[in-house]
Amino acid sequence: MNGALDIATAVLLIAGGLFCIVGGIGLHRFSEFYQRTHAASVTDTAGAGLMLLGLMLQGGLSMVTLKLVLVLAFLLFSSPAIAHALVKAAHGHGLALELEIEDEPGRDGDAAG
Amino acid sequence: MRLGVFALLAAVWLALSGPYTLYGWLIFAFGVVSVAFVWRLYLALERAAGGGFEFFRASAWLRLPRFLVAFAVKVAAANLHVTKLILSPRIELHPRLRRVPASQKTSFGQVLYANFITLTPGTITLDLRDDELLVYALDAESEADVMDGSMDRDVLRIEGASD
Repeated sequence: MNGALDIATAVLLIAGGLFCIVGGIGLHRFSEFYQRTHAASVTDTAGAGLMLLGLMLQGGLSMVTLKLVLVLAFLLFSSPAIAHALVKAAHGHGLALELEIEDEPGRDGDAAG
Repeated sequence: MRLGVFALLAAVWLALSGPYTLYGWLIFAFGVVSVAFVWRLYLALERAAGGGFEFFRASAWLRLPRFLVAFAVKVAAANLHVTKLILSPRIELHPRLRRVPASQKTSFGQVLYANFITLTPGTITLDLRDDELLVYALDAESEADVMDGSMDRDVLRIEGASD
Protein backbone atom coordinates (compact mmCIF):
# COMPACT_ATOMS: atom_id res chain seq x y z
CA MET A 1 0.00 0.00 0.00
CA ASN A 2 1.26 3.42 -0.80
CA GLY A 3 2.21 5.72 2.03
CA ALA A 4 -0.09 8.66 1.34
CA LEU A 5 -3.11 6.36 1.16
CA ASP A 6 -2.20 4.71 4.46
CA ILE A 7 -1.84 8.10 6.11
CA ALA A 8 -5.22 9.23 4.72
CA THR A 9 -6.80 6.03 6.03
CA ALA A 10 -5.21 6.54 9.44
CA VAL A 11 -6.45 10.14 9.62
CA LEU A 12 -10.00 9.12 8.64
CA LEU A 13 -10.08 6.21 11.10
CA ILE A 14 -8.80 8.35 13.96
CA ALA A 15 -11.16 11.21 13.12
CA GLY A 16 -14.09 8.75 12.94
CA GLY A 17 -13.06 7.26 16.27
CA LEU A 18 -12.86 10.72 17.85
CA PHE A 19 -16.39 11.54 16.63
CA CYS A 20 -17.60 8.25 18.15
CA ILE A 21 -16.06 9.27 21.47
CA VAL A 22 -17.60 12.75 21.19
CA GLY A 23 -20.99 11.13 20.56
CA GLY A 24 -20.51 9.02 23.69
CA ILE A 25 -19.48 12.06 25.77
CA GLY A 26 -22.54 13.95 24.48
CA LEU A 27 -24.79 11.04 25.42
CA HIS A 28 -23.63 11.51 29.03
CA ARG A 29 -23.36 15.32 29.17
CA PHE A 30 -26.73 16.15 27.61
CA SER A 31 -29.44 16.16 30.23
CA GLU A 32 -32.54 14.85 28.52
CA PHE A 33 -33.71 12.02 26.26
CA TYR A 34 -34.37 14.09 23.13
CA GLN A 35 -31.07 15.95 23.40
CA ARG A 36 -29.20 12.68 23.80
CA THR A 37 -30.51 11.37 20.48
CA HIS A 38 -28.64 14.23 18.78
CA ALA A 39 -25.37 13.18 20.40
CA ALA A 40 -25.97 9.62 19.20
CA SER A 41 -26.43 10.84 15.63
CA VAL A 42 -22.88 12.23 15.68
CA THR A 43 -21.65 8.67 16.18
CA ASP A 44 -23.97 7.39 13.43
CA THR A 45 -22.96 9.90 10.77
CA ALA A 46 -19.49 11.37 11.29
CA GLY A 47 -18.15 8.44 13.32
CA ALA A 48 -19.30 5.56 11.15
CA GLY A 49 -19.04 7.56 7.90
CA LEU A 50 -15.40 8.59 8.32
CA MET A 51 -14.35 5.10 9.44
CA LEU A 52 -16.05 3.49 6.44
CA LEU A 53 -14.43 6.05 4.10
CA GLY A 54 -11.04 5.23 5.58
CA LEU A 55 -11.61 1.51 5.04
CA MET A 56 -12.78 2.16 1.46
CA LEU A 57 -9.41 3.78 0.71
CA GLN A 58 -7.73 0.53 1.76
CA GLY A 59 -10.15 -1.55 -0.31
CA GLY A 60 -9.52 0.37 -3.53
CA LEU A 61 -11.77 -0.52 -6.46
CA SER A 62 -12.81 -3.96 -5.21
CA MET A 63 -15.67 -6.06 -3.85
CA VAL A 64 -14.63 -5.04 -0.35
CA THR A 65 -15.26 -1.38 -1.22
CA LEU A 66 -18.62 -2.21 -2.82
CA LYS A 67 -19.64 -3.94 0.40
CA LEU A 68 -18.46 -0.96 2.46
CA VAL A 69 -20.48 1.41 0.23
CA LEU A 70 -23.55 -0.78 0.79
CA VAL A 71 -22.94 -0.82 4.54
CA LEU A 72 -22.82 2.99 4.48
CA ALA A 73 -25.98 3.20 2.33
CA PHE A 74 -27.95 0.90 4.63
CA LEU A 75 -26.67 2.80 7.67
CA LEU A 76 -27.89 6.09 6.15
CA PHE A 77 -31.40 4.65 5.82
CA SER A 78 -31.63 2.61 9.01
CA SER A 79 -30.14 5.02 11.55
CA PRO A 80 -32.61 7.91 10.92
CA ALA A 81 -35.48 5.39 10.86
CA ILE A 82 -34.37 4.09 14.27
CA ALA A 83 -33.82 7.60 15.69
CA HIS A 84 -37.22 8.70 14.42
CA ALA A 85 -38.94 5.60 15.85
CA LEU A 86 -37.34 6.30 19.25
CA VAL A 87 -38.31 9.97 19.50
CA LYS A 88 -41.77 9.45 18.02
CA ALA A 89 -42.48 6.68 20.54
CA ALA A 90 -41.23 8.87 23.40
CA HIS A 91 -43.20 11.89 22.17
CA GLY A 92 -46.33 9.84 21.50
CA HIS A 93 -46.27 8.43 25.03
CA GLY A 94 -46.01 11.92 26.47
CA LEU A 95 -42.36 12.21 27.51
CA ALA A 96 -42.17 15.99 27.85
CA LEU A 97 -39.75 18.05 25.78
CA GLU A 98 -37.84 20.85 27.48
CA LEU A 99 -38.44 23.67 25.03
CA GLU A 100 -37.64 27.36 24.73
CA ILE A 101 -39.55 27.92 21.50
CA GLU A 102 -42.48 25.96 20.17
CA ASP A 103 -44.77 26.32 17.16
CA GLU A 104 -48.44 25.93 18.11
CA PRO A 105 -48.26 24.11 21.44
CA GLY A 106 -51.78 22.67 21.06
CA ARG A 107 -50.53 20.21 18.50
CA ASP A 108 -48.01 18.79 20.95
CA GLY A 109 -50.76 18.04 23.45
CA ASP A 110 -52.91 16.30 20.87
CA ALA A 111 -50.00 14.11 19.82
CA ALA A 112 -49.38 13.10 23.45
CA GLY A 113 -53.05 12.38 24.14
CA MET B 1 -39.42 -0.67 -13.41
CA ARG B 2 -40.32 -3.74 -11.38
CA LEU B 3 -37.90 -5.69 -13.56
CA GLY B 4 -35.35 -2.97 -12.86
CA VAL B 5 -35.62 -3.70 -9.13
CA PHE B 6 -35.20 -7.40 -9.87
CA ALA B 7 -32.12 -6.78 -12.02
CA LEU B 8 -30.59 -4.49 -9.38
CA LEU B 9 -31.04 -7.03 -6.57
CA ALA B 10 -29.70 -9.86 -8.77
CA ALA B 11 -26.67 -7.85 -9.91
CA VAL B 12 -25.73 -6.90 -6.35
CA TRP B 13 -25.89 -10.51 -5.19
CA LEU B 14 -23.98 -11.83 -8.22
CA ALA B 15 -21.26 -9.24 -7.67
CA LEU B 16 -20.91 -10.15 -4.00
CA SER B 17 -20.96 -13.97 -4.36
CA GLY B 18 -21.25 -15.39 -7.87
CA PRO B 19 -21.16 -19.19 -8.34
CA TYR B 20 -17.86 -20.93 -9.29
CA THR B 21 -18.33 -24.50 -7.95
CA LEU B 22 -21.13 -26.95 -7.22
CA TYR B 23 -21.28 -25.51 -3.75
CA GLY B 24 -21.28 -22.09 -5.36
CA TRP B 25 -24.32 -22.96 -7.42
CA LEU B 26 -26.12 -24.14 -4.30
CA ILE B 27 -25.41 -20.74 -2.81
CA PHE B 28 -26.59 -19.25 -6.12
CA ALA B 29 -29.91 -21.07 -5.73
CA PHE B 30 -30.28 -19.65 -2.23
CA GLY B 31 -29.50 -16.27 -3.75
CA VAL B 32 -32.24 -16.64 -6.33
CA VAL B 33 -34.70 -17.48 -3.56
CA SER B 34 -33.51 -14.48 -1.49
CA VAL B 35 -33.83 -12.10 -4.43
CA ALA B 36 -37.30 -13.40 -5.26
CA PHE B 37 -38.34 -12.98 -1.62
CA VAL B 38 -37.05 -9.41 -1.30
CA TRP B 39 -38.54 -8.52 -4.69
CA ARG B 40 -41.88 -9.83 -3.46
CA LEU B 41 -41.53 -7.59 -0.38
CA TYR B 42 -40.79 -4.66 -2.67
CA LEU B 43 -43.95 -5.31 -4.70
CA ALA B 44 -46.00 -5.35 -1.51
CA LEU B 45 -44.30 -2.12 -0.41
CA GLU B 46 -45.04 -0.49 -3.75
CA ARG B 47 -48.69 -1.48 -3.45
CA ALA B 48 -48.83 -0.13 0.11
CA ALA B 49 -47.22 3.15 -1.00
CA GLY B 50 -49.81 3.50 -3.74
CA GLY B 51 -47.43 3.73 -6.68
CA GLY B 52 -43.90 3.07 -7.91
CA PHE B 53 -40.86 4.93 -6.70
CA GLU B 54 -39.63 7.60 -9.08
CA PHE B 55 -36.22 6.77 -7.71
CA PHE B 56 -35.55 4.09 -10.32
CA ARG B 57 -35.59 6.59 -13.16
CA ALA B 58 -32.21 7.16 -14.80
CA SER B 59 -32.61 10.93 -14.38
CA ALA B 60 -32.81 10.55 -10.60
CA TRP B 61 -29.49 8.70 -10.57
CA LEU B 62 -27.87 11.42 -12.66
CA ARG B 63 -28.90 13.95 -10.03
CA LEU B 64 -27.63 11.75 -7.20
CA PRO B 65 -23.94 12.86 -7.08
CA ARG B 66 -24.84 16.53 -6.60
CA PHE B 67 -27.31 15.59 -3.87
CA LEU B 68 -24.74 13.42 -2.11
CA VAL B 69 -22.22 16.27 -2.09
CA ALA B 70 -24.79 18.73 -0.67
CA PHE B 71 -25.81 16.07 1.85
CA ALA B 72 -22.22 15.35 2.95
CA VAL B 73 -21.41 19.07 3.34
CA LYS B 74 -24.52 19.75 5.48
CA VAL B 75 -24.06 16.67 7.65
CA ALA B 76 -20.36 17.47 8.16
CA ALA B 77 -21.12 21.07 9.17
CA ALA B 78 -23.87 19.93 11.56
CA ASN B 79 -21.51 17.35 13.09
CA LEU B 80 -18.90 20.01 13.79
CA HIS B 81 -21.53 22.27 15.37
CA VAL B 82 -22.93 19.55 17.65
CA THR B 83 -19.39 18.43 18.53
CA LYS B 84 -18.70 22.01 19.62
CA LEU B 85 -21.86 21.97 21.75
CA ILE B 86 -20.90 18.66 23.36
CA LEU B 87 -17.33 19.66 24.16
CA SER B 88 -18.04 23.21 25.37
CA PRO B 89 -17.25 23.62 29.10
CA ARG B 90 -20.87 24.52 29.83
CA ILE B 91 -23.62 22.73 27.97
CA GLU B 92 -25.85 25.47 26.63
CA LEU B 93 -28.83 24.38 24.58
CA HIS B 94 -31.88 26.27 23.40
CA PRO B 95 -34.16 23.44 22.28
CA ARG B 96 -37.13 24.22 20.08
CA LEU B 97 -39.95 22.44 18.27
CA ARG B 98 -40.88 23.79 14.84
CA ARG B 99 -43.33 22.92 12.11
CA VAL B 100 -41.59 22.76 8.77
CA PRO B 101 -43.35 22.44 5.40
CA ALA B 102 -42.27 19.44 3.29
CA SER B 103 -42.90 20.51 -0.29
CA GLN B 104 -42.06 17.14 -1.91
CA LYS B 105 -44.87 15.67 -3.98
CA THR B 106 -44.29 11.98 -3.27
CA SER B 107 -44.32 10.23 0.08
CA PHE B 108 -40.90 8.83 -0.84
CA GLY B 109 -39.54 12.37 -1.23
CA GLN B 110 -41.03 13.44 2.09
CA VAL B 111 -39.54 10.46 3.89
CA LEU B 112 -36.18 11.23 2.28
CA TYR B 113 -36.44 14.82 3.56
CA ALA B 114 -37.44 13.68 7.05
CA ASN B 115 -34.53 11.23 7.10
CA PHE B 116 -32.15 13.95 5.89
CA ILE B 117 -33.22 16.16 8.82
CA THR B 118 -32.92 13.31 11.32
CA LEU B 119 -29.47 12.30 10.05
CA THR B 120 -28.22 15.86 10.48
CA PRO B 121 -27.07 16.09 14.10
CA GLY B 122 -28.85 18.90 15.95
CA THR B 123 -32.21 18.36 14.26
CA ILE B 124 -34.58 15.40 14.42
CA THR B 125 -38.00 14.75 12.86
CA LEU B 126 -40.67 13.89 15.41
CA ASP B 127 -43.66 13.56 13.11
CA LEU B 128 -44.83 13.88 9.50
CA ARG B 129 -48.42 14.90 8.97
CA ASP B 130 -50.33 16.82 6.27
CA ASP B 131 -47.18 17.76 4.32
CA GLU B 132 -45.63 19.19 7.48
CA LEU B 133 -42.74 17.97 9.56
CA LEU B 134 -42.49 18.43 13.30
CA VAL B 135 -38.80 19.13 13.84
CA TYR B 136 -36.96 19.26 17.16
CA ALA B 137 -33.74 21.29 17.07
CA LEU B 138 -31.00 21.75 19.70
CA ASP B 139 -30.46 25.49 19.19
CA ALA B 140 -30.92 28.41 16.82
CA GLU B 141 -27.98 27.45 14.60
CA SER B 142 -29.18 23.86 14.14
CA GLU B 143 -32.68 25.11 13.50
CA ALA B 144 -31.48 27.56 10.83
CA ASP B 145 -30.12 24.61 8.78
CA VAL B 146 -33.68 23.39 8.33
CA MET B 147 -35.65 26.65 8.39
CA ASP B 148 -33.77 28.22 5.47
CA GLY B 149 -35.32 25.55 3.24
CA SER B 150 -32.08 24.58 1.50
CA MET B 151 -32.40 20.92 2.49
CA ASP B 152 -35.99 20.94 1.27
CA ARG B 153 -34.76 22.17 -2.12
CA ASP B 154 -31.97 19.56 -2.21
CA VAL B 155 -34.52 16.78 -1.76
CA LEU B 156 -36.92 18.40 -4.26
CA ARG B 157 -34.15 18.35 -6.84
CA ILE B 158 -33.35 14.66 -6.34
CA GLU B 159 -37.07 13.84 -6.30
CA GLY B 160 -37.44 15.66 -9.61
CA ALA B 161 -41.17 14.92 -9.60
CA SER B 162 -42.84 15.35 -13.00
CA ASP B 163 -40.30 17.58 -14.72
